[in-house]
This record gives sequence, structure tokens and C-alpha cells, in this order.
Amino acid sequence: MSDSDHNMTLTLRVWRQDNSEARGKFVDYKVNRISPHMSFLEMLDVLNEQLIAQGEEPVAFDHDCREGICGACGVMINGQAHGPDKETTTCQLHMRRFQDGQKVVVEPWRANAFPVVKDLVVDRTSFDRIMGAGGYVSVNTGQAQDGNCLPVARQDQESSLDAAVCIGCGACVASCKNASAMLFTSAKVSHLAQLPQGDPERPQRVLDMVAQMDAEGFGGCSNTYECEAACPAGVSVEHIARLNREYVKASFCSSAQPTIQASAD
Amino acid sequence: MSWLTGFLKSSVGRKFVMAITGLFLCFFLVVHLSGNLLLYVGADAYNHYAHQLHSNEELLMIAEVLLFGAFALHIYMAFSTTIENISARKKSYRVVESKRDDRALPLTSAADQTMMITGLIGLFFLLVHISDFKLENGWEEALAGQSQAQKASIIVSDFTRIIIYVLGSVALGIHVSHGLGSACQTIGFNHPKYTPTVHLISKIFGVIVAVGFSSFSVVSQFFPDVLNFAETASKSL
Ligand code: SF4
Ligand code: FES
Repeated sequence: MSDSDHNMTLTLRVWRQDNSEARGKFVDYKVNRISPHMSFLEMLDVLNEQLIAQGEEPVAFDHDCREGICGACGVMINGQAHGPDKETTTCQLHMRRFQDGQKVVVEPWRANAFPVVKDLVVDRTSFDRIMGAGGYVSVNTGQAQDGNCLPVARQDQESSLDAAVCIGCGACVASCKNASAMLFTSAKVSHLAQLPQGDPERPQRVLDMVAQMDAEGFGGCSNTYECEAACPAGVSVEHIARLNREYVKASFCSSAQPTIQASAD
Repeated sequence: MSWLTGFLKSSVGRKFVMAITGLFLCFFLVVHLSGNLLLYVGADAYNHYAHQLHSNEELLMIAEVLLFGAFALHIYMAFSTTIENISARKKSYRVVESKRDDRALPLTSAADQTMMITGLIGLFFLLVHISDFKLENGWEEALAGQSQAQKASIIVSDFTRIIIYVLGSVALGIHVSHGLGSACQTIGFNHPKYTPTVHLISKIFGVIVAVGFSSFSVVSQFFPDVLNFAETASKSL
């Protein structure tokens, strides 16, 4: 990156909130010397260096891998989860997607089940609790070589993997008008429902994961499919249909009962 | 039975009830519209159909109970889920922009975003319609001694009814254009082979409902002869 590349200036309108109790507000910042090759997070780094130099509190944002696989970095950029690019996380979004002098509004995910911790950082442990309710297999699946002894049809592997690619970023919840976690939950249910290792706990899993999802206060699915468009991993709403089938089947055709009590409201 | 109450309380279960009742109501719309279209065949065909329908009291009762039940469940679920969905995000965004490429309409006016409002307009239309056709509320004098076809023609050509019926039909058409496809997804009917077709059918169905049901008022306005059965009615009396 040569110095002459750092030729963009942006006006950011960033949500600032000291802690989960604070009211929070938007603050405008002018960020100079942005290179079009920078990622969105690197641009925020530049902003933070600027803020630190001025003796101000830097903007808190979540990130970890910075290579699109951990799902930590999601923010709302001009009203779109992870910004304007398809199947791209915020850390993989490049500043060349923006125009010099553009105004960019940056907000945290908004959902009751994702309370703001600070600035752009939200608490996504509700996803962990949904996973804890059944998003795993507790049967012994043996050693690595045993994997090859379980025949799984190619198309089932592929379809299961299409669901397993979910990185748990929460963009589906953030972009849904109902703040619904159906795409996330369905990805986790669908991943294991199509594999023999997931089969023994199949009905129990879907009943418990849905019960936990409801208890966390996410909204319901109204099939507006904004989640699918916002998902950086390209998880399809086909998995939501599979979750629906799994749920009805588990409710009416299996002896399993949910072990998680949905909250009263 | 706790499994059943659990199912009916869950978000997925309630949407399932919403979808099943919605599909049933779509089926009813098809039957209802087919019957109505007989008006274009002629007064005799329509009168005969109306007569057949009403001569089967028991069947009509069962159908009405089923319909009422489906409507009640559908509306109850709509309110309960909508309230929950809205309250799942207490603090809203400053800016919201769709990421779907296929969004032709602004986000706030698309069919899937306006289900509550189109549903409510449709419901208002339905209530006026029942009051007009079943109870003949306020129409006692105008409809006295008329054949069924002539009654229909008088009601749909009334000025306030033209507005209500056209508006209601269009709202209903928009509602089902999302509703039909959405219901299929909710009951788990989704497959790369037929889902695009389902969505297409859903949109076409929306147009058919909007055009079909509003056509009677529109035709009565612009082609008054088509739906004027006064002659034939007096002949058959
Ligand atoms: S389904 Fe997609 S949008 Fe939702 S959490 Fe997983 S990766 Fe993120
Ligand atoms: S920081 Fe890991 S996905 Fe963006």
C-alpha cells in the first residue's frame, strides 16, 4: 500500500454507548487517509488511532479472525448487515465499495436477544444457549478412521455442509424485521439432521433448540428472506423449511418432549 | 397433551397453524371466485349455483363453521405473532436497507412487509361483504324480491361498495401473493425443483384474486349491461 493510495475520506455516523445500561447516541467522525484496499475493520482501526491520538475513547467493535470465518465482526453498515456485499463479512468488506466523501452509518445488531455491551459490540450468548440446548451430538462417533465407516450419501454430505457453514454471526437476526433467529437455528438443526451421527437425537434436538430460541426472545419467521440475503455464509432458507418439517415431525411422530421451558411471554 | 400445547405455543407451531389455515382460506377463495365468475356466464347459471348452495343446509353449515374457525385461528395467530415479532426488537435501526436483489418495491411497501395491514383491509372487506350478502344489512328494500344474481349486481355497483370491494380485493390479492408461498415454506414444502414455481404461482394467484374479486364492481361501472340482470330476473320470477 503506497501512501498515495490513502486518498479516501469518509464521514462516519457511529453508535456510541458506554455500557449496556447507557442510553447511547450517534456520533459523527470524519476519517481521513483511508485506502480503498483497507477492510472495513481496518478503516475502523484508523478511526480508533485518530480517537486515541485525540485522547478520546476508541470505538469498541467485535472481531477475531479478520478472515471471514469466526463470525465476530458483524455490524449494520448503512442499514445492511455486514455492509453492501453479498456473502461477505464486515472484515472482508473493502473500502473500495465506498465513495470518497460518502456518509456511512454504523450501528450494532439490534435485537432484544442481542443486548448492546458497548458501542458496536453486542452480546450473542443467546446463540450459545441455543447451541447448548441441542446443537451437538452426544453419541460416541469414534476415531477419525471411523468416519469413513459410516456411509453418507454425497448429496446429504453437501446439503449438511451447506448448513454447517453458518459462522454464528447473527446477521440473520440483525437483518430480519422480526429479529428472528430461524436461519441460524435451522442451519444448526439441518446440519445434524442430515447425518447419521445426528440421527439418534434428532427429534429431541429440534424441540429443545426451538424452545430455547423462543425463550431467548427472538421473533418468529415471516418468510421475508432478508436473512438469506444478508448471510455471509450463504445459508439458504431451505434449511428453515427443513427445520419446520423436523419440528412438526418431532412434535407429532416422536415420543420426545422438549426439556426446555419456553418463557411465559 | 402437553406436547400439543407446547407445539401450539412455540413460534414454529403457531406459524404452522397460520399456514394451514391460510392455505385452507386460499382454497376457499378459489371456490368462492369460481362461483362468482358464474355471474359472467349469466344470471341463470349464478342463480342455479346459489340455489344449489343454499339447498344443502347441513353442508353449508359445516363449511361455515370450518371457515369461521380458520379465520378466527388465522387472525388470532396473526396478532399474537405480530405483537411478539415487533417487540423482539425494542430499539430499531436508524437506517434499514434490503440486501435482496429481487426486491422491486421499497421495503416498506412490499407484500411480505405489509401482511398485517393488507390482512386488516381484507378483514374489513370481508365483514362488509358478509353484512351485505348474508345479512343484507341496510339493503332490505333494494333487494326485496330480487334474484340472487340481481342482488349481487345491485350491491357491487353501489358507490361505497365499489371502493370497499376494489380496495379489499386488491389488499387480499397482495396478501395471498406472499401468503401462499410463505405458507408452503412454513409447512416445510420447499425444494429447489418446485419452490420457484410455488412462488410464481403465489404471485399469479395474487393477481387472480385481486382482479377476479374486484372485477364485478369495475365491470358494473364501465359495462353496466353485463351485470344488469333486471330483465332476466323478472322473466324468471
Ligand atoms: S445463518 Fe448466516 S447470518 Fe445467520 S448466524 Fe449463521 S452465518 Fe450468520
Ligand atoms: S472477524 Fe472473523 S469473520 Fe470477521
